[in-house]
Amino acid sequence: MKLKATLVLGTALVALALPATAQDYGTFDGYTLRVKLIGGAQYEPLYAEIPKWEAATGAKVEIVSSKNHFELDKEIKQDIAAGTLDWCVGSNHTSFAPQYGDIYIDLNGVIAPEVIADFVPLAISQSTVNDRLVQLPRHSDVSNLFYQKSLYEDEANKTGFKEKYGYDLAPPETWNQVKDQAIFFSNPPDFYGFQFVGKDEAVNGRFYEMLVANGGAMFDENWNPTFNSAAGVEALQFFVDLYEAKAVPVGVPNYTWDDTGLGFASGSIALNLDWGGWSTFFNDPANSKVAGNVGLVRAPMGSGGKRTGWSGSHSFSITEGCDNKEAAASFLTFLTSYDNQMVEARKGLLPTRTQVWVDAIAEFEGAGNAFSAEVMKTFQTSMAEDAFTPPLIPEWIEVSNVMWPKLQAAIVGDMTAQEALDAAQAEAAVIMSDAGYN
Amino acid sequence: MIRALTTRRTEMAPFLLLLPAIATMLFVVALPLVFSLWTSLTPYKLTKPDTLYDFIWFRNYIRIFADWDFWEAFLRTIAFLTVAINLEFALGLGIALLINKITWGQRGLRTIMMFPMMFSPILVGFQFKFLFNDHIGVVNNALQSLGLTDQAIPWLVDANLAMFSITLAEVWMSTSVFAILLLAGLFAMPRDPLEAARVDGCNPWQVFRHITLPFLMPFAYIAMAIRSLDVARAYDLVAVMTDGGPAGRTELLWTLIARTGYDEAKMGQANAMAYISTILSVLFTWHFYRKLVAARRYMGGAE
Repeated sequence: MKLKATLVLGTALVALALPATAQDYGTFDGYTLRVKLIGGAQYEPLYAEIPKWEAATGAKVEIVSSKNHFELDKEIKQDIAAGTLDWCVGSNHTSFAPQYGDIYIDLNGVIAPEVIADFVPLAISQSTVNDRLVQLPRHSDVSNLFYQKSLYEDEANKTGFKEKYGYDLAPPETWNQVKDQAIFFSNPPDFYGFQFVGKDEAVNGRFYEMLVANGGAMFDENWNPTFNSAAGVEALQFFVDLYEAKAVPVGVPNYTWDDTGLGFASGSIALNLDWGGWSTFFNDPANSKVAGNVGLVRAPMGSGGKRTGWSGSHSFSITEGCDNKEAAASFLTFLTSYDNQMVEARKGLLPTRTQVWVDAIAEFEGAGNAFSAEVMKTFQTSMAEDAFTPPLIPEWIEVSNVMWPKLQAAIVGDMTAQEALDAAQAEAAVIMSDAGYN
Repeated sequence: MIRALTTRRTEMAPFLLLLPAIATMLFVVALPLVFSLWTSLTPYKLTKPDTLYDFIWFRNYIRIFADWDFWEAFLRTIAFLTVAINLEFALGLGIALLINKITWGQRGLRTIMMFPMMFSPILVGFQFKFLFNDHIGVVNNALQSLGLTDQAIPWLVDANLAMFSITLAEVWMSTSVFAILLLAGLFAMPRDPLEAARVDGCNPWQVFRHITLPFLMPFAYIAMAIRSLDVARAYDLVAVMTDGGPAGRTELLWTLIARTGYDEAKMGQANAMAYISTILSVLFTWHFYRKLVAARRYMGGAE
C-alpha cells in the first residue's frame, strides 16, 4: 500500500514537472512512428534523447534505417521507385532535398509558425524548395580556414615571407594569399601548405564556392551551364597551381573529408579549409598533434571580393504518405528543439536556432573554453553572412557527377583548366536539356 | 479415349511436377531480367517512377555505344580481370603446393589462409586506402624512413600505380579462393601416377608439369569461372579506394554503373550498361567452361 502511494506520488510529481521543463508535444498513446535517420558517431547523441519524447507522448519510435547520408539517399531512391515509402520521418539534407520531388510535405502549417520563427532565417530559406519548406534544419555546415598558429608566430617565417612576397605574414584574407602562403610553407613530402578534397561531390563543392567567390555562376538565368567562364577557369586554376607546385599532398585527387581532417590533425598541413564539426577533434590532444596550436579565420575571399561559403544543413522531413503527420511534426519539433540543439552544439555541431548560437557561445565562455567560443563565433558570422547552397535543383548531383572527373583531369594535368571545364559544360548542357530546362 | 487421356496425363506428369520449380525460376530469374531489359529501353529514373512507361527504343544503348568513357571502363575491367585472376592463380597455386607439403599445423594454416576472405570488401578497401595514402599512409612512410625514396609516391593517383594498388588489394583478399580449391584438388590426387613417374625417373619439375598441373587444371578453371564473375562485378573495394578516379583512371564497369543508377538515379541507362557488361561475364564463363571441358578430356586421355 505504501509502495503504491509512493508510486502515485512519484507519477504526480513527474506530471507536474513535465510542463515546466518541456514543451507540450501532444499525446500519441500506442502509436509507433517509423523513421529513417542518418547514422554516425557525431549524430548519435541526439538519438539518445528520443526516449524523452516517447515518455512525453506515449508513442514509440522505430528506427527503420540508420545509415550514412549517401547510403540513405540510395535507399530513399529505391523506396520511391518501389513505392515503399511506408515510414514517416527521414533525415534529409539541403543538397539532396530537391531530387526527391514531392515525397515530403510542406512543413508550413504543420510545424507551428512560432517554432519556425526561432530558426536562423537563412537556414529556413535554404531548406525551402519551390516555396515549400520540405525540411526542418537540424544543424548547418559551412567551412572556415583552420591554421597552425605557431607558423605565423615564427620570426624566421615572418621575415622570409616578407622578403619573398613583399607583404606581412598573417592568417590569409584572400585565396591568393592562401596560395602564396601554402607554397611558402610547403616542404614536400614532409610538410604541405594546404590540402583539398579531390573527388566526388566534395571537389565539386570546393570548385563551386571558389567560382562564386570569384564572381562566377554555375548557370545563367535560363539554366545554361556557365561555369566554364573566366571566373571558373581562375577557380580551377587555383587548385591546379597548388597541385603543380606540390603545395598539397600528391594524393589529394583521392582525398575525401576523413583524409583532410586526419591530415591536418597529423600536424603536417599548414592551412586547412574544413567544416566546423572537426574543430573539437583538431583541438583534442588525444587525437591531434596540433591541439592547442589551432587558429581559425573566416574563409578567405575570391577575386570577386566574396568569401567562399559552400553550405548545407542536415535536416528532417515528413513523408507525404505518413499516417500520423501530427505525431511526425511533434517529433521533428522535439528533435530540433532548443534543448536538443544545445546537446548537439556542445558536441561542436552548428545550430540552426538563433538563440542556441547565443547561449552556446555564452556557455563556452562561461566554462573558460575560449577555443570553442571563438570557433562558434567565427562560424556564426560565416553562417549569417557567407553561406550559400548549391543550386537547389534536382539535377545538381547529376551535373556534379559529370563535373568532378573533369576537375580531377585538370588537377592531375590530363587537360588544361579551360579544356576540362568546356568538356564538363558540354555534358552538363545535355543533362539540363534532357531535363527540359532549355 | 480414356487410354489416350491417361497417356497424356502420364506424359504431363514430369512437367506438372516441375511446375513449382519452373514458376520459381520464372519469378526469381526471368521476371527481373525481363523487367530490367524493359527499363533499359526507357529513360527510367528512380526518383520519377512514371518514366518507366516511356518507351524510347534503343536510345540508351546508342548513347552508350558512342560513349568512350564506357568503353574505357569496359576494357579496363577486362584488363583488371585478366591480371588479377592470373596473379591469384599463380599465388594460390604456390600456397596450395606449399601447404600440401606441410605435415604439422596444416589445418591451422588453412584456417589462417581464409582470414582475408572473411573481411568485408569495404573494410579491405578502407584498410588499403589508408596503407596507400601518399601523405600519412604506412607504405610511403616506411619507404621514406628506410631511405628508399624521398618522394611521396602517389599510389592512388597515378594511373598505373592506382590500378596496381587496387589489384594488390583484390589479390590479397581473394587469393585464398584459388588456394583452397587447388588444395582440395591436391588432396584428391591419386598417388599412383606420381609414384609411377618417379620410378620412371621424372624429376620434380617434370612430375609437376606433366602430372600435377594437368590434374589441377579443372579445379583451377572452376575457380577462375567463379572469380571472373566476382571480379567483373568488382565494386565495393574500388568504390572505397578510388571511386573510379582520379579523372576516371580507375573507372571499372560497376563503379560507373552504380554511379549512373543510384547517385544519378538513371536506372534505365544503368541497366543498359549492365546488359552490355553481362556479355563480358558470359564470355569469360563460356571461355573457362570450354577450358574446363578440354582439361577434363585431356585428363581422361591421360588415364
